[in-house]
Amino acid sequence: MVAKAQVTDEKLPVTPPKDSVAASEISLYRNTLKIKKEHDLEALGISFYDTETTLQWSFNADQYFHAASTMKLAVLLGVFREIERGELALDAPVHVRNRFTSIVNQEPFMLDLSRDADPDVYGHLGKALSVRELAYWMITRSSNLATNLLVDVVGIPKIQLALDELEIDGVKILRGVEDQAAFDAGLNNEVTANGLLKLLRYIADGRAYSRKASDAMLAIMLEQQYRGGIPAGLPKAARVAHKTGNISTVHHDAGIVFLDGRKPYVLVILTQFEAERGRGTAVAEVSRDLYNTMAGLSYE
Amino acid sequence: MSDPQQIKVVDAFDLDDELRSLLRPGDLVRDAAGRRHRLPRYFYEVASHEAAVDIRLAPHFGLNEFILVDLKEAPRLQAFPRYVPCAVRMLAFFLEQFRVAVNASVHIAVNGGYRSPAHRMSGNASPHMWGTAADIYKVGGSIVKTKELIDRFNDVAEELSDDVKVLPYGHETGTTVDDHIHIDLGYVLVVPREISEDRMEVPQATQPRFAFEERRRRERRLAAPEK
Repeated sequence: MVAKAQVTDEKLPVTPPKDSVAASEISLYRNTLKIKKEHDLEALGISFYDTETTLQWSFNADQYFHAASTMKLAVLLGVFREIERGELALDAPVHVRNRFTSIVNQEPFMLDLSRDADPDVYGHLGKALSVRELAYWMITRSSNLATNLLVDVVGIPKIQLALDELEIDGVKILRGVEDQAAFDAGLNNEVTANGLLKLLRYIADGRAYSRKASDAMLAIMLEQQYRGGIPAGLPKAARVAHKTGNISTVHHDAGIVFLDGRKPYVLVILTQFEAERGRGTAVAEVSRDLYNTMAGLSYE
Repeated sequence: MSDPQQIKVVDAFDLDDELRSLLRPGDLVRDAAGRRHRLPRYFYEVASHEAAVDIRLAPHFGLNEFILVDLKEAPRLQAFPRYVPCAVRMLAFFLEQFRVAVNASVHIAVNGGYRSPAHRMSGNASPHMWGTAADIYKVGGSIVKTKELIDRFNDVAEELSDDVKVLPYGHETGTTVDDHIHIDLGYVLVVPREISEDRMEVPQATQPRFAFEERRRRERRLAAPEK
């Protein structure tokens, strides 16, 4: 394996050859620190795995972050677990109702339409959408309403069970979305970069319960409509099956990147910052840096 | 409005074992206050979705609007032929009056019409299990989710008849509502004209029978004087 990435000229105890993987890793590390500093990030977690070369790289990948909407990947996994077991059908109708129960005090709560990224699902209030449609909107438009409906259908214990069965550490799912009482009680969904990477690798490898289930999840994720994260750092020809996650203090993206002529690579980028600062382009910059590094590597 | 004769009426005691176990005709179930009510026995049998759309229970209400359910309903009862208690026609009549009073279209939510005893929302006896309750989520173009709207429409519904019950605005599930209007007529059992309630009078030899019926027949035979 020969790496063509450039290493900066800082002094190292032992300087690796300029075309080595080690040099690429050092370059990635330095660039990551630079991005973290430039964007004034409070925390940055990265996990990367290339199914073509089996090369893997991570940075602060076991730190827990607020999951934001990346938790919807776990919900998707839980849905397909139930489908694979014959407990649920993709065509099963679900009543679209904006009324949920807090896990803390069992009080009902409603989602705030203005905060949801997908007003389309609200257009079906009182009617029914299929499990397939809800899964689609949950991932592609990050619909909170669709997510909470599916959480109600599958149940948090089954979602966590799906993660446990696949031994996915680093993804903790406690509740649905906008459960303010749970938030106030400090009960939040949390993820690590390594946890999400493992989940995505199951899907990329066709091992998330079955090849059929994995392909179905992948097909939904490829329809992602928000392209500001990982895809923003890639050539337009790249296809990315991914899920973003945004709240006032975090901006994440977790995805499987398909490039022509090679097997996909899996990448998770988690960022945390002060609410006043707002999200910047850090995720896209990390994505670009990793892509450039991969593009510079060749194998003999 | 379609002729009631065009809708097939069935005695749920004559349905197959699975359907009887799901519909539980004649069973006594308790309401939230502990009172016991007997579940409906006579149902309209709806052959297909098209038939449900075609059958008008009232000028502006098709039968299909009263049987909208999601995956909370037992899978067998989501498939056609579907069954809905005959009292649903009375509900449609009152909803038509309600529609006139509010001068707007009235939309019943999924799971807001008939719910079988096997439906996951059927805990205590609820008029939904009698086909005499409707949860209305939209009136005209307005999604019903505010206290103001719910109070206003509740007033209109209560003016229709003393037999109409509504649930007040609030957040306690089962006794109050916050995202729909609940209208019900109580635990009304309807016996269609074409039905005889005496199964002894109308023997149905080919149909499965219950132990109590066999026992009654045996007792009658034993009690009859020998000739």
